[in-house]
Amino acid sequence: MLDNILSILIFFPALAAMFGFVVAKDSIRAYGVTVAAIEFALSLFLWYAYDPAVSGMQFMESLPLIPAFGISYLLGVDGISLFIIVLAAFFTLIGIASLPDMKRMKDMILTLLFLQMTMIGVFAALDAIVFYVFWELSLVPMLYIIGAWGGPLRIYASVKFFLYTFTGSLVMLVGMLFMAYFYHQATGTWSFSILEWYRLILPENIQLWLFVAFFLGFAIKVPMFPFHTWLPYAHGQAPTIGSVILAAILLKMGTYAFVRFSLPLFPDASVFFMMPIAVLAIIMIIYTAMVAYAQEDIKQVVAYSSVSHMGVIILGTFALNVEGISGSVFLMIAHGVVSGALFLLVGVIYERRHTKMMSEFGGLASVMPHYATIFGVMVMASVGLPLTINFVGEFLSLLGFYQQSHMMTLLAGIAIIVGAIYMLAAFKKVFFGEVTNEKNRNLPDVNKRELVALIPLVIIAIWLGVYPKPVLGPINNSVESIVQLMHEKAVTEEAKARIPDLTSTIVINEAKEETK
Amino acid sequence: MLEPVNVSLESLNLVTLAPMLIAIVGALTILVVDLVKSGLNKTMYVMLSMLFLLLDFGSLVDFAGFFAQNGTILGFFDVMLIDGLAILAQFIIVVGAMMFLPLSLTSKRFHEYSYPEYYALFLFTIAGLQFMVSTDNLILIFVGLETSSLAIYTLIAMHNRSKSFEAAVKYFTMGALAAGFYSFGAMVLYALSGSVEINQIAAVLSADGYSNIGYVLVGVAFLLASFGFKLSLVPFHTWAPDVYEGSSAAMAGFISIVPKIASFVVAMRLFEFLVQSGVVWLEVTLYVFVVVTMTASNIWALVQNDVKRMLAYSSISHAGFVMAALIIGTTQANSALFLYWAMFSFTNLGAFAMLWVNREKSLKYGQNSDHQFERFSGMVHTMPLAAVMMGLFMLSLAGIPPFGIFWGKLYMLGAAVSGGYTVLALIMALNSAIAAFYYLKLIVFMFLKEPDEQAHEKYMTNASLSLKTIIGAAAVMTVFSVFAVNPLLEFITSFVYNSGY
Repeated sequence: MLDNILSILIFFPALAAMFGFVVAKDSIRAYGVTVAAIEFALSLFLWYAYDPAVSGMQFMESLPLIPAFGISYLLGVDGISLFIIVLAAFFTLIGIASLPDMKRMKDMILTLLFLQMTMIGVFAALDAIVFYVFWELSLVPMLYIIGAWGGPLRIYASVKFFLYTFTGSLVMLVGMLFMAYFYHQATGTWSFSILEWYRLILPENIQLWLFVAFFLGFAIKVPMFPFHTWLPYAHGQAPTIGSVILAAILLKMGTYAFVRFSLPLFPDASVFFMMPIAVLAIIMIIYTAMVAYAQEDIKQVVAYSSVSHMGVIILGTFALNVEGISGSVFLMIAHGVVSGALFLLVGVIYERRHTKMMSEFGGLASVMPHYATIFGVMVMASVGLPLTINFVGEFLSLLGFYQQSHMMTLLAGIAIIVGAIYMLAAFKKVFFGEVTNEKNRNLPDVNKRELVALIPLVIIAIWLGVYPKPVLGPINNSVESIVQLMHEKAVTEEAKARIPDLTSTIVINEAKEETK
Repeated sequence: MLEPVNVSLESLNLVTLAPMLIAIVGALTILVVDLVKSGLNKTMYVMLSMLFLLLDFGSLVDFAGFFAQNGTILGFFDVMLIDGLAILAQFIIVVGAMMFLPLSLTSKRFHEYSYPEYYALFLFTIAGLQFMVSTDNLILIFVGLETSSLAIYTLIAMHNRSKSFEAAVKYFTMGALAAGFYSFGAMVLYALSGSVEINQIAAVLSADGYSNIGYVLVGVAFLLASFGFKLSLVPFHTWAPDVYEGSSAAMAGFISIVPKIASFVVAMRLFEFLVQSGVVWLEVTLYVFVVVTMTASNIWALVQNDVKRMLAYSSISHAGFVMAALIIGTTQANSALFLYWAMFSFTNLGAFAMLWVNREKSLKYGQNSDHQFERFSGMVHTMPLAAVMMGLFMLSLAGIPPFGIFWGKLYMLGAAVSGGYTVLALIMALNSAIAAFYYLKLIVFMFLKEPDEQAHEKYMTNASLSLKTIIGAAAVMTVFSVFAVNPLLEFITSFVYNSGY
């Protein structure tokens, strides 16, 4: 069982979705919730069985798929992917559980289960081609979710989403083939295993080109600043569940791939591109924060704030030290929880009023007190109030980057203040003041089904804000091994200097202890 | 008084003719059966042809085993050349034929299928294509090419639509031009080298160090134009969309796959030694052909309103993609060509078969082509399974993993990367992205739009159990292709490698 738990996690939802075609329409929600709950339980079991003291890959599975071309079915998790897998299982569960009644419910639930397969596959794959397969396959269910249940511009939004990501990932595929080719040159055998690739030391100029090829694929997915234009459309048109999954999990694929591929494979290129990417990330943080302030649609505010926070994740990742990367991985989880919750909350109000315009609301705090409270907690978490989940991640990410550049970190810090401004302003517009619109007078407060989804998110947001260690510990452990690997692999002097050598710090610490 | 020629029968190695002869005998048998008793049902002819194709396939398996042990087989005055390429191509041809032939078992009656000549011509086509790939004699290539082409013109014309005649005449005219070009090119090469065997030509040309490079280029230019027509490379492609539109979907699918692999093999034999021996002009021209064919046809496909025309442009684009193998010229690239085409045939079979089952007898008022995009709108509501199938084939054509064509694309891109053609690899990758748009267009129509009222009556009117079986088989192959890739790849690579390509 334990040997194949990752395969089970990946293919159980897909198989369940196949069987689900037979289930009658009126029972499909119960079926979906049950399947997702089993899946979530399995993912918790994975967490339970995971040994946090080990920094490398665990639960590895390996099966030759196309040995003639070095492609194998290789899976494994470490501290970085483990929690995103748990998060993916969790969000599918609450997504299905809180799904409002809609047309073609059955199609939606089965699509979500297929989507879950691709999401977990991406984070568990350790073979570049298997990774690519799930990466691309995840586009199809999302295309369907946005295109079939979305708003008036849904077809434009879904096709744009698909084509943007597909184009980027094809360039990435060429990069992967190059990587395999260099591996072939070096060793004489074909391999697409990331772990094998980690052992390859490439000259700097090749690293630069390959970094760019991979970067295109990942940056479009994140989405980073010049490539972000598909996201507001996708969020704007997607149904609530689509936005939730997109923001909470799918975008993380990009940032996760940076940590899994770009950093350890191309340490010198990462150092070389650190400043340009940091500039892009800061533009992304500030610019989207300002755009968010200008929005009139509450969902767009949340969407842009989500992009803005993704910028902090990128910044943390490219700090290239343990604090920064651990912080950014933690922030991926935090961002998933918080923006997922915010999209769910926006969905709640949209469900009641069928509008997302902030001008239509006002004074909701007196009409829907529970709703306003939960929304308030999530807004606080989103702006990074200490003792909430986002704070830990943002603080660590910025702390990490502070070691690389003080000015840039300062700029990013300012942007977080802007973040507080637009989120609080939006919160004020919607919830405080007098109830001006008669239609809002008798809105029902959050119902049980919505609470089932929201309460656990609130608990996580606060629990991990107060006591992040159970998650941060394993992350830190795995990140340390990646940073050490990067330091060892780095060819140039600059990269050696920028990427800390962890063995030496340990030696220093020991020396300090001895002198004491 | 001429001396009597004394050739021993063993040295002729007549067995090398067996696969083609089986197809020819099959065609003649069908004609004889018709003479004895006419008016038989089409099912009988289809199954009879299938049996002969199976025999053909069996003989190929035999040859494959023999090749794996003893290498290339020559025969019939050394005109026949059964090497790995010949065997692989014949496998694709015969299997392709066996998949497309049962598409004539429709539930509606189309009059071409009631003629036994249809099946005889079909088998003659197969025999011609088999001749074409299993020789390096320019004359026999020509004979094979013309046998198959003439038969195909007739097959298209037999479809009873005014557009079919247009298509057949267009195809015939272009084909005749291509034949002219071919014979000119062959003539020039013969004049230069005194031989019609490609390996002799190669030997003579390299022996005198390509001193007559000007004449070689003239000859190659003619041959390139000729194969440009046959492979529908841009700018020789203009016939293709009209011919696809005019012929039945089953026939269109057939001509998008089976004759093309034969042309690929001949092009491989003809052009690769030239590219390898440093005829830069040819390499550059081929490069331009490949890039333009891929890109331009993709862009034309974007603006089509008819699914069949879209698929026509898409198969031109796929042909361009595969042609890249000729430039790269490594064993990996040549293997990728066969892998790609094997995967492509299953997916394209499925796509065209899906069009074929949705075919109506006659066009409705205000409808100017058979398979407009609008006809498919909201298909997922009325025929969910059919829509999923069609969606699957479109995703595979777009190169979404893990479906069939992705693996061919992956291996071909890998070959381009290993061969040092980085820019080409990027162009190929970006073209796949452009192509995704028009395949998505059909998916958008099927899955994301609302159906119109009479949707129920429109779909699957032409389906019969055998057609559904074929579509199912194509879908299974497309989905589970990942498990077929490794054995296929090993088989193909060893055959290509052992033929010296």
